[in-house]
Amino acid sequence: MFAGEEGKLKQVAMEKIVKYAKTLGAEELCIVTKATLFCGAHHYLNVVESDDFDEVFSEMYMSSSKKVVLDKVSKECFCQTDVAPCDRYQWKNLNQSKTLFEKNRSYIKRANDAGIHIAESCTPYLIGWIPLRGEHFVTSESHVVLMCNSIWSACGNSDGIEAAFWSGICARTPKWGNHIMENRKGTHVFELSCNSKTPFDWDLIGYTIGRKLPAHAIPVISGNFERPDIIRLKQCFAAMGTTSGAEICHIVGITPEAPTLKEALGAKSPEGIIQVTQEDIDDSMEMLCDEGASSIEFVSLGCPHYTLQEISEAAGYMDGRKIKDSVRFFIWTNYAIKKMADENGYTDIIRNAGGDIYTSSCPLVAGTGFHAGVNGMALDGAKQVHYIRSETDAKVFYGDMYQCIDAAVSGRWEV
Amino acid sequence: MDKKTTLLKGRPVINGIAEGEALVCPESIQGWAGIDNETGVIIEKGHSQEGVSIKDRILVLPCSKGSNGWSSHFHSAKVKGITPAGWLFTKMDSRTGVAAVVIDIPAISDFEGMDPVEVIKTGDWVKVDANKGIVEVQHK
Repeated sequence: MFAGEEGKLKQVAMEKIVKYAKTLGAEELCIVTKATLFCGAHHYLNVVESDDFDEVFSEMYMSSSKKVVLDKVSKECFCQTDVAPCDRYQWKNLNQSKTLFEKNRSYIKRANDAGIHIAESCTPYLIGWIPLRGEHFVTSESHVVLMCNSIWSACGNSDGIEAAFWSGICARTPKWGNHIMENRKGTHVFELSCNSKTPFDWDLIGYTIGRKLPAHAIPVISGNFERPDIIRLKQCFAAMGTTSGAEICHIVGITPEAPTLKEALGAKSPEGIIQVTQEDIDDSMEMLCDEGASSIEFVSLGCPHYTLQEISEAAGYMDGRKIKDSVRFFIWTNYAIKKMADENGYTDIIRNAGGDIYTSSCPLVAGTGFHAGVNGMALDGAKQVHYIRSETDAKVFYGDMYQCIDAAVSGRWEV
Repeated sequence: MDKKTTLLKGRPVINGIAEGEALVCPESIQGWAGIDNETGVIIEKGHSQEGVSIKDRILVLPCSKGSNGWSSHFHSAKVKGITPAGWLFTKMDSRTGVAAVVIDIPAISDFEGMDPVEVIKTGDWVKVDANKGIVEVQHK
């Protein structure tokens, strides 16, 4: 591959992976069998100022000033797409042009022609993309690194957009960091004494642990907490991956590398024991949610993308209610779960209330034009709230699904 | 060498020589909405250097944080002609490793004995010899 016998694309990808390995200090590569890749006409790609996909791909994914054509990714590695800047089916309600929608479709098609499956999902583990214990994966989604390392004991690093592509193409990544089992032991214990009942509680727990996590540390969650399910951990890890660089998080009695605190720490003493109290959680809440009551015109649920269970709960709470005319209301998931929501009648309930289920994207990746001119917005994911603050002057309110739906109905965020 | 100069030693990551005014970010820079894609200005809300550009600075970071797309935002700024002159990472991690490869400017990591984030202050003049892994800090 390195000599070019398997084509230019794989040669360049392998050259980059070898350079990446040297940069990390890795001595070997390992075989990658699953990848999620950041495909689509994302806004940051506009810096290339070209509509030629190959030119954009060469510069922004392959880091090559010479043209490298995306012909075929590796057959050894199952690749699928991460979120895109557009919904799979519609553009008008996202304040987007048909031109952007079609450009995005054409970029996704080029990826699909190269062997990358169309998923358009930031929660690939909800639709069958699950690397198992010891399996090596790459992903462009920070919380997917945390989910797969922590819950399934698979092996992956947060090596991002370009390197994930290189790995998808040549099915190799440096054997470094979380790809080596001895490197995965916990270093810092987080003792919870805060609320840990709801997905919203776990969203805040993840955000707070991320805030308090020292650089390069591996957290172990211990103490008094209620047993989390996959929805709670989806929220927890998305928020933790926002405020920190965490790639794996052990939870005593829950995750497989932490049957006990001792085993999670590799029989070593922790480098630190950090308390997470309700006061710490309240501090996070203060950082995330603007003060006071205000009118809102924009409500977005589903960061990370909702599961069918969450859509079911939202639909149940919205059934028979009406969203205020001045409010745009969005629930985000992937198109496979959207189809299940359609078949189960949830999409109709949400549409009858005045909202809709959207796929493949979210306010952050859809871009600032999507929420331009909005004066007040309500969101239910700490990750979305945290990042969108840098992209809007609107008042940003953060609450659970029910509080956000109530705000959509009344058109006001109430304290 | 006068009292106001400090030498640090680390592992050369991307070879080359660079110098410039230090921009030290003890909280790192977040991956999404951390820097502006076109101007390289730090846009992370509440960041200690919010509003400051990374252009031509010696960027000093303990680690990366946030989105896996960390490198891609530095990459976008690079296409627009905006990069730091060099960068120093206290310790290597996967996001910074990818960014080092993609941005391809002199880089040193895995420092011995002294943490550049603690020793170097924003505004110090820093000479980076990323062939030998030596950093000379002229404190202001």
